[in-house]
Amino acid sequence: MEKDRIKQAYLDFVLNEGHPPQSVFKLTQQLGVAESEFYQHYPNFEAIDREIWADFGRQARETAAAEPVWDGYGSREKLLAFYYTLLEILKNNRSYALMSLRRSLHRIPALSPRVLDDFRQDFEYFVSDLLRDGRVTGEIANRPLVQDGYPRFFWQQALFVLGYFAKDDTVNFERTDAAVEKAVTLSFDLVGRNTIDSAVDFVRFLVRK
Amino acid sequence: MSDEPQTSLPTTKVARAARFAKTGFNVGTNYIKHYAKKAVGSESTTEDLHAANAAELYGTLSEMKGSVLKVAQMLAMEKNMLPTAYAEQFAQAQYSTPPLSGPLVVKAFRDAFGKSPFQLFDEFEPEARQAASIGQVHFARKDGKALAVKVQYPGVADSIKSDIRLVKPIALRVMGLNEAQVRPYLEEVETRLLEETDYKLELRRGQEIAAKCQPLQHLEFPAYYPEFSTARILTMDWLPGQHLKEFLATNPSQEIRNQIGQAMWDFYQFQFNELHQLHADPHPGNFLMRAENGGTLGVLDFGCVKDVPQDVYELFKDLLAPETFADEARLEALLAQAGVLRATDAPAMRALYLRTMQASLELVGCPFRQATFDFGDPAYMAALYALGDDLMADPELRKQREPRGSEHFIYLNRTYVGLFALLTELGASIATGILV
Repeated sequence: MEKDRIKQAYLDFVLNEGHPPQSVFKLTQQLGVAESEFYQHYPNFEAIDREIWADFGRQARETAAAEPVWDGYGSREKLLAFYYTLLEILKNNRSYALMSLRRSLHRIPALSPRVLDDFRQDFEYFVSDLLRDGRVTGEIANRPLVQDGYPRFFWQQALFVLGYFAKDDTVNFERTDAAVEKAVTLSFDLVGRNTIDSAVDFVRFLVRK
Repeated sequence: MSDEPQTSLPTTKVARAARFAKTGFNVGTNYIKHYAKKAVGSESTTEDLHAANAAELYGTLSEMKGSVLKVAQMLAMEKNMLPTAYAEQFAQAQYSTPPLSGPLVVKAFRDAFGKSPFQLFDEFEPEARQAASIGQVHFARKDGKALAVKVQYPGVADSIKSDIRLVKPIALRVMGLNEAQVRPYLEEVETRLLEETDYKLELRRGQEIAAKCQPLQHLEFPAYYPEFSTARILTMDWLPGQHLKEFLATNPSQEIRNQIGQAMWDFYQFQFNELHQLHADPHPGNFLMRAENGGTLGVLDFGCVKDVPQDVYELFKDLLAPETFADEARLEALLAQAGVLRATDAPAMRALYLRTMQASLELVGCPFRQATFDFGDPAYMAALYALGDDLMADPELRKQREPRGSEHFIYLNRTYVGLFALLTELGASIATGILV
């Protein structure tokens, strides 16, 4: 398909040259297609970057869900499996991942990198589903109002994991594995039923009197 | 995997530093208690304080139970126990690591073999059956064979290294030692700890030692499977049997206990005398016992193996020989050779060391000087306790904070402390014979 060819050519160019092509014209010329063909699929190069990242995420979810044990996992394990699979994929594409992250990261560090926009949307849907399942099984406490913010909270965790991976200098990124393990355990301890729920319950009881 | 909230998982540097800071804090509290006691005029000696500090450090750090700790105290007069305690502390820190999640185990397999454990084995239990010192053990089945698969925690080797860097200054400060004095001991401990993280090495040693120990009776070793093993994953046979505590709960007969104890004793004597290489981790978790064939002992975990250099072997053997014990001049010469006595020591100090060494060698070497020895005899343990208490209470000796003796003795001591403790708990009467 023409779209995949353009995406692949763009990826190859970025990997070889270390920066995006100077213009859409140059890339399409190299490919031997008309420039207008490009715009039928993408408005600009950034859109390709966003799509590549979204592909990483989708691939990670699909591969993780293909494991025979997937159905036996709870929400915590499903999220872990997603992260580990994603890291495997990123390991194979680390050069591109670092390059594209860095390009959009350093401008405004507090915000999420723009290349992750599509990735983020899918991720938040995925997490919302996990959380809903978790609430059914009782793994996650039901906290009306507060829980609407969970997907954003987990997105910060995903950013932390990506940032940790980008900076990890251990062999085979072993520390990232440990970081994922601990971050996810902590987050599920927080969203699971814990002291906070009992405290809120207690306060509500006192106030209602 | 459990979804319960998990506590204590100090893997980041900061978290671990906090943990050690807590030890420091407790030590500080001990000082406060000390001065508070002093202020109200009650008797609180500096020795009490040191003991409290040491207790804080040693605290929960060893898996050793009460009786073993007493023996450990006794051997602590050689001060070699400091690095061992140090080693135990790391072991303990690793023991308290929460289990790896199922997905991480799967990932470890994917990294190592490109396949998930469910593809690799016919059957694989995602929940760990037990924790190993730096990993966890899973049950698996392949071609009808029951297998034990040990999976190491990611980044363990790295965290051991940084733990050592973190804890060293604190430990030295608390123990009142300087680095140059303890460097050889700490290096020895670090080497062993790092070796334990290399499962390839463990596999090779396990195979070698098992092959060489073929002539020994009533012993059982797991077969290892190199095709399912890497530096971080180790696959071996799942040996039948129970650990010491559970085994004793089944009320095995004295004959069975004797035979198992004998097998254990022979195993260690054979390694020491013939192989000059010791399974240096006689921890109850590393042995499986069962009543079949009048008592069979399974030996696991060759992660910690101590190679004994020839000269150290001779020295250790001579120290335990009956002639030495009777001949003071010879004992003095041997202790000087071992680095316990130094030419620069004042005569009074020398006499003190000699006296205490003689007393402890007399007791510790007891099993070696008799044809048969009953480790179940409560009198022997009582004597060991009493000696330990005496040594701990000796004010002169307690002032000597500097470790002495060859660094090779650390793991030799640890091995024999562990062995005696296991045999005592087993209550076995054993043909010990005389050390050849």
